[in-house]
Amino acid sequence: MRIISKSLKKLFLYFWLIVFALFMMGPFLWLVSVSLMPGENVFSFPPKIFPTFIDFKNYIEVWEFMDFFKYIWNTVVMAVIGVVLSIFFSCLTAYPLAVFKFKGRDTIFLLLVATMIIPAAAGLVVNYLTINALGLMDTYLGVILPSIISVFNIFLMRQAYMGVPLEIRDSGKMDGASEFRIWFQLIMPMVKPAIAVIGLLEFMAFWNNFLWPIIVLNDTSKYPIASALSFLNGQFSFNFGWIAAGTVISVIPIIVVFLFTQKYYMEGISGAVKG
Amino acid sequence: MLNTQLLKEQEIKKAGIKSERKRKSSEAKIAWLFMAPGLVLLCLFVFWPIIYSVPLAFTNYSVISETKFIGLENFTRAFTDTNFIVSLKNSMLYVIVVPFIQLFSILMAILVNRKMAGIKFFRSAYYIPVVTSMVAVAIIWGWLLSQNGVVNYILMSVGIIDEKISWLSNFDTALWALMFITLWKGLGYYMMIYLAGLQAIPQDLVEAAQIDGANRWQVIRHITIPLLKPYVFFCSLISLMGAIRVFDEVFVLTSGGPGNATLTSSVYIYQQGFQQFDFGYSSALGLIVSAIIMVISIVIFAFNKKGGVNPY
Repeated sequence: MRIISKSLKKLFLYFWLIVFALFMMGPFLWLVSVSLMPGENVFSFPPKIFPTFIDFKNYIEVWEFMDFFKYIWNTVVMAVIGVVLSIFFSCLTAYPLAVFKFKGRDTIFLLLVATMIIPAAAGLVVNYLTINALGLMDTYLGVILPSIISVFNIFLMRQAYMGVPLEIRDSGKMDGASEFRIWFQLIMPMVKPAIAVIGLLEFMAFWNNFLWPIIVLNDTSKYPIASALSFLNGQFSFNFGWIAAGTVISVIPIIVVFLFTQKYYMEGISGAVKG
Repeated sequence: MLNTQLLKEQEIKKAGIKSERKRKSSEAKIAWLFMAPGLVLLCLFVFWPIIYSVPLAFTNYSVISETKFIGLENFTRAFTDTNFIVSLKNSMLYVIVVPFIQLFSILMAILVNRKMAGIKFFRSAYYIPVVTSMVAVAIIWGWLLSQNGVVNYILMSVGIIDEKISWLSNFDTALWALMFITLWKGLGYYMMIYLAGLQAIPQDLVEAAQIDGANRWQVIRHITIPLLKPYVFFCSLISLMGAIRVFDEVFVLTSGGPGNATLTSSVYIYQQGFQQFDFGYSSALGLIVSAIIMVISIVIFAFNKKGGVNPY
């Protein structure tokens, strides 16, 4: 009896796990199925849900039409520069907030919290004017600069620093190391998981960012992948197969990155909230 | 004898305080040195937009005409602007999605918080919508929710609806369809946070309760829910802010239409800025919305004072 009820319970759990998985993954699987059936109309009724045949024509055609390598390369360049700078700035800024006692610390902290309530669109206008005034329109730096410092990342790093035992800093001081050396050689290695998390979060943000690059870049050949996809969707919304294939191409790299790094990523998310 | 000793001790103390002060001031210097590069960027791209939008809001700054100080005109215009009022209403309406996201993500977290074959696969599967770009999500759901889309097909074959609905271009359903997409894309993120919360619950506490004869619902009611509370507060706050400020979904799927059915305040601010190039008015709207969000968050924190929840 017990064994039966146990395996029934398991069956019940797997049923719900699969129902949710279909709900979350189904749309992607359907997209793949559309991309593999050139000539099929997405808007025919009843819609084709499962592929009746498989043909990679859409992929070949859209790849020839749009130089995906270039857009992926643009994205990778922006993301890598952005991620490195972002890690550097967040790590430096968060450190004193976690370990030093100084006048104005609480004020700065409060100011940082307060910025999280501003509607994103409100900042866009002034940031656009700033980038324009700095002469950075139509440059990668103009795309990257506003997003390399994030209040969220500063909080995350601060939380990580607070978890480092004080003795480590003290031992560095005994040996007469400067604060900068203590930070770089003793503390930084201790917060590697948090660095991995902000690196990943930023990488995903850069990969998926579409609006700001469209605002800053005039030359569409400089677009990152998400902006290029939205451009393709605007220009060829009637060519479903191409757009489906393009979407699959744009989504796969980030999913692969996520799957390979999810261990750190998920640990980091939980670490970030625990504080 | 005793006196001199006391004096000596006092002197030592004084010296200690002095060196302590010295140490503190040098520490402060180093602290500011560490923060300087980050603060420069923060000032430029986070604080400056807030500060600069204040004077901007009192002008007619745009690309077309000469910039003039126009006093409160932008603000009086805002409160008689039906589109802005509607956009505020829609942004507030969007908050309805918050309890649904929290409820379903908690259920999902409970579902995946166990050791079973393949559980890691399911956890990552649920998370994939979070890592994909809103552009891709918009393309997929734009098709699924269209007149001849898969959603209509499924709902009709199950018998929930009799007629095809084009969810995103119907005035009555568009906003709800967008909320649904927000829900779908956000579930995985909150599930992960709740999962972390569930795994932080000490297992011996649950076992002790079970030994005392508590059944599963009593465990959930008296142990899981109270210990999960800070997580619920954190997640609700984040998703509340996200809902009031919702932009990406609306921008790529409906850009506020049909009519102004899905016009949210963030989208309206964007349109005034980058489509009408009316930067002054756009800044004024941004200030009004920021003020509203600020009042809401102060109220929430005042209600939650006792919780003592760290923002991070």
